[in-house]
Amino acid sequence: AVQLTLDLVAARHVRRRHVGAAVPLSPADDRPAPPPAADLPLVYEAFVLAQRLPVDLDTLADGAHARAWLRAVADADALTRRCLWQAAYERRHQSEILDALGAHAPYAPSPHAAAFQAVFCIDEREESLRRHLEEVCPEVETLGYAGFFGVPMAYRGAADVRARPLCPVVVTPRHLVTEEPCGDARRAWRRRSRLGALHHGYDAGSRTLVRGAALSLGAGLGHLLPLVGRCLFPRAFHRAAERLARAPQLGPTRLALEYRGSTVDGHRHGFTVAEMADIVAAALRTTGLAGRLAPLVLLVGHGSASLNNPHEAAHDCGATGGGRGGPNARALAAMANDPRVRADLAARGLPVPEEVWFVGAYHNTCDDTVQYYDLDAVPAQAGAALRQARTAVAEALRRAAHERCRRFADAGPDLPPPRALAVAQAHTVDLGQPRPEYGHATNAVCVVGRRSRTRGLFLDRRAFLVSYDPDGDVDGAVLAGLLSAVGPVCAGINLEYYFSRVDPVTYGCGTKLPHNVTGLLGVMDGHASDLRTGLPWQMVEIHEPVRLLLVVEASPRRLAAAVAADAGLATLVRNRWVRLAAWDPGDGALSVHAGDGFTPHVRQRTRLPVAPTSAHVYAGRTGPLPPVRVRAGAPPPPPDTAGACRTAGGRHAAEVDHTAEVDRAAGGVR
Amino acid sequence: MTAALLAAAAAPLVAFVVLAVPAWAGRPWSERAVSAVTVGAFGLAAACGAAAAAAVLGTGQPVHTPLLTWYRWGAHGGRLGLLVDGLAAPFAVLVPLVLTAVAGFSRRYLHAEPGYRRYHLLLTLFGGGAGLVVLAGTLDVTVVGWELAGLAAALLIGFFHQRPRPLAHAVRAFVVYRLCDTGLLLAAAWAHHHPGADRYAAAAGRAVAGLPAPDRALPALLVGGALLWAAVGKSALFPLGGWLPRAMEGPTPSSALCYGAVSVSLGPYLLLRTTAGWPPPPALAAATVAVGVLTAVHATVVGRVQTDAKSRLAYASMTQTGLVVAEIGLGLTALAAWHLAAHGLLRVTQFLRAPSLLHDHQHRAQLRGAQAPARRWRLVPAAVRRRWYRHALERGHLDALTADWVRDPLARLLRFGDAADRWWERRWAAPRTRPGRTDRQEPAPSPIGGPRP
Repeated sequence: AVQLTLDLVAARHVRRRHVGAAVPLSPADDRPAPPPAADLPLVYEAFVLAQRLPVDLDTLADGAHARAWLRAVADADALTRRCLWQAAYERRHQSEILDALGAHAPYAPSPHAAAFQAVFCIDEREESLRRHLEEVCPEVETLGYAGFFGVPMAYRGAADVRARPLCPVVVTPRHLVTEEPCGDARRAWRRRSRLGALHHGYDAGSRTLVRGAALSLGAGLGHLLPLVGRCLFPRAFHRAAERLARAPQLGPTRLALEYRGSTVDGHRHGFTVAEMADIVAAALRTTGLAGRLAPLVLLVGHGSASLNNPHEAAHDCGATGGGRGGPNARALAAMANDPRVRADLAARGLPVPEEVWFVGAYHNTCDDTVQYYDLDAVPAQAGAALRQARTAVAEALRRAAHERCRRFADAGPDLPPPRALAVAQAHTVDLGQPRPEYGHATNAVCVVGRRSRTRGLFLDRRAFLVSYDPDGDVDGAVLAGLLSAVGPVCAGINLEYYFSRVDPVTYGCGTKLPHNVTGLLGVMDGHASDLRTGLPWQMVEIHEPVRLLLVVEASPRRLAAAVAADAGLATLVRNRWVRLAAWDPGDGALSVHAGDGFTPHVRQRTRLPVAPTSAHVYAGRTGPLPPVRVRAGAPPPPPDTAGACRTAGGRHAAEVDHTAEVDRAAGGVR
Repeated sequence: MTAALLAAAAAPLVAFVVLAVPAWAGRPWSERAVSAVTVGAFGLAAACGAAAAAAVLGTGQPVHTPLLTWYRWGAHGGRLGLLVDGLAAPFAVLVPLVLTAVAGFSRRYLHAEPGYRRYHLLLTLFGGGAGLVVLAGTLDVTVVGWELAGLAAALLIGFFHQRPRPLAHAVRAFVVYRLCDTGLLLAAAWAHHHPGADRYAAAAGRAVAGLPAPDRALPALLVGGALLWAAVGKSALFPLGGWLPRAMEGPTPSSALCYGAVSVSLGPYLLLRTTAGWPPPPALAAATVAVGVLTAVHATVVGRVQTDAKSRLAYASMTQTGLVVAEIGLGLTALAAWHLAAHGLLRVTQFLRAPSLLHDHQHRAQLRGAQAPARRWRLVPAAVRRRWYRHALERGHLDALTADWVRDPLARLLRFGDAADRWWERRWAAPRTRPGRTDRQEPAPSPIGGPRP
């Protein structure tokens, strides 16, 4: 009772100080306050909130209004508050991205003839590689296409034991593609097989009684070297081991792409020429490449390899159903280079000029290396462009690795750029490294549209970039097809990270350290537990849990129609698992999907920070970064709009002013 | 020499204190500093161990470093001291070297983990204990190191203490440790009743020191049996090995260190150190061989049906440890020492790579191509295969048997003792509270308690 009395007195005192003695909260001031107001923390909260928000204090002087206000605040329980926090967090992120897109769009470079074109997966990790490639080589054009490159196949590599599907999980492949050695690989096979038997015999035998004793006594002390090497000098040891004991290679190979009438395990072994032409035509139409092909087109699939990582496949390409997309890129390139396919395409009105050559490649996102396929088949006239492309890609990889390393604790923000690839490679081969790469962590945005509109915008490896040319899509069919494939894939990845991050124990699989691989199919914690699903904490610790912001370069009407056409995507949008925004192809107006329709996006900031190169943006910083216009990535702005762009020249990131642009008053809750 | 020996034994313990004191004071070190101290201490221990080992192997004579006598009573005394001889020399290098490697591994593996400092504290404590066992010059030092290593290993099993299972398994391991430590304590008690019997000494011309052999058969059997009992718990030998696969709850490097290499090897090392020089009493030798062979056969059968990476390595480890114990029983001490060290290195390397199981499996399958591994011979006849399979799946029913025949009767006995105690207490306490006697000055009731009437 004493406490309550004191509380009441204190509340009255506070009220008198802030509202004035003359204004009673309720007509009968001396009676106990109405039920919600009896809660002093609530009164205080309501008061602070009234101060923060544009609430007219005179209105609150009215008792009914004051009670309503208190009740509104009291109704905001813990769940509502968390919702509000999440909404505020996402709103800030959304306005940051949309403002940047809107402010950057006027600088879209006019179409120009590219020296070569490079098609990457839509994966947000490729965003940095594409940006750096454009900075290294301004005459390149990069595009984003789902990482299975439209080739829905089951694939068996030359060394693989069995085929595995390389296409989105919702697609069941009907075609098998195999990789066949060109020459006589029997000798290599025999040696590989012997080596494999040796490995297997050693590993299995060392766990048995008699063979285990013999192996321990004979070779046990020899493990001192790998033990110390792997633990203390992982990279040096791995390189030495690679040099000494490299598995015999099978030599050059080719894909067996063409259907020859055979069927294997229910899969047709290969594609017919017409099917290949369909696939290539779809790729050209969707990416908008048709009719403006450069002499060289790189198709870059991706995957990831690391050691001591049961979640290795989680770093692979989502569009290939958690496989490695290199073979898909290689297959599409081989199809597009086939003269019969080109003849078929020409008949459909999609001519591929004679001098154009496609080259497939595979990007290992863990150690940032790129491997090119079928280089021996490249004709002489494409050689110069290929050399230029490879040099540019190699430099872009170095820079992308450096950008990525800023997130690693063992590299730090002041890593010298030449060391970045070494750090990335060390992460790949280190048994003691639970964070070989951060995978899709920090993904937040998906932009479906022309690259020219986002080219030169630093998006911090957080944006899935899907190439889509609205000009070539008269009836919206391409958009509908694209969104039905891209939307669920990106939303799935995003939500997987979201939930693993917000509840790592229930939706994620906790910390990696006690994980124990069981039954060759999953992990459990320690000696015995349920199978742990979701992502480990070490993969999501830097993730900012926001729902995917899907920005589509289309008019709101066309976007709404495209979304409604796909039941899965419509559900995702309706239940607000993704945030949707339309970006008008004409005037660049942005509108945000809000429950029942699109509302125009109100720009909060008018200016966009500018930096000379990407390295200036992230240097010395380890956290997530807002979008910045990077001048090296895009041609100079047209003179009439230069005033809107604050230029920050010089060489160091300190000159990029990130904070001055954020108008705090405008950024607050309205 | 003395300095090197002392440094080799003390470096991890000093590191423990260096890490622990600031943490207690609320000013813990940074990750980098913690790791530097740990790796540095183990590296120093390895270097000093190597120096001492080189000196010993040069002369071929064991080197004793008496430190102090902690009590003296007539001819009896408790002495502490360190020793390097032909047996300790290789382990004095290898154990700190493995610890250095694992500590380096853990620096990256445990980065940003909430228990980073606790883990390194326990690692230094474990390393200090294991180092003392290796370099012990008297049985007392062995006991100290043995207990420290056991405590730290149990705490490492329970490292993830927010989940119930690691704690239960840590307690299980700890109970087995304590149960079997009685063997070591009995041996120590015996040694303290015989002047000079607590100090490891080498017979003339021998490179390996051990406890002086008891001069009569019965004490030899009892003390040897007690030491074997100590080894049974520490090294997860038959029939108490059920805790070993359950101990895989900590971070991978601690599992590798304790159950691949160092902790399970302490049991055979103790036997090699204490009883290897004895004229083998036939019963003791037979018991040792039997325990070893039973362990090896049990573990290899059970290990073949394990489905997870760490359990199958745990049983593989148990198999070879059993063999080493059998070799000791047969008197093949040099072979056993070689086997012990070599197996530890092999297994710790495999354990550290255990999370790569899927990756390596795929890689090997790619190398081998499509052909399935051929079964060359099957030792188990088809008639009993199914029965053995079930036996293996049930882990030899050992856990159930231990629970039914040992744990539960023991618990019943304790409960009976408790009930009897209460009854006894009531019996004696009751007259005192009778009114007729209250006029006398009564001492206050015992603070030890029991239910008050």
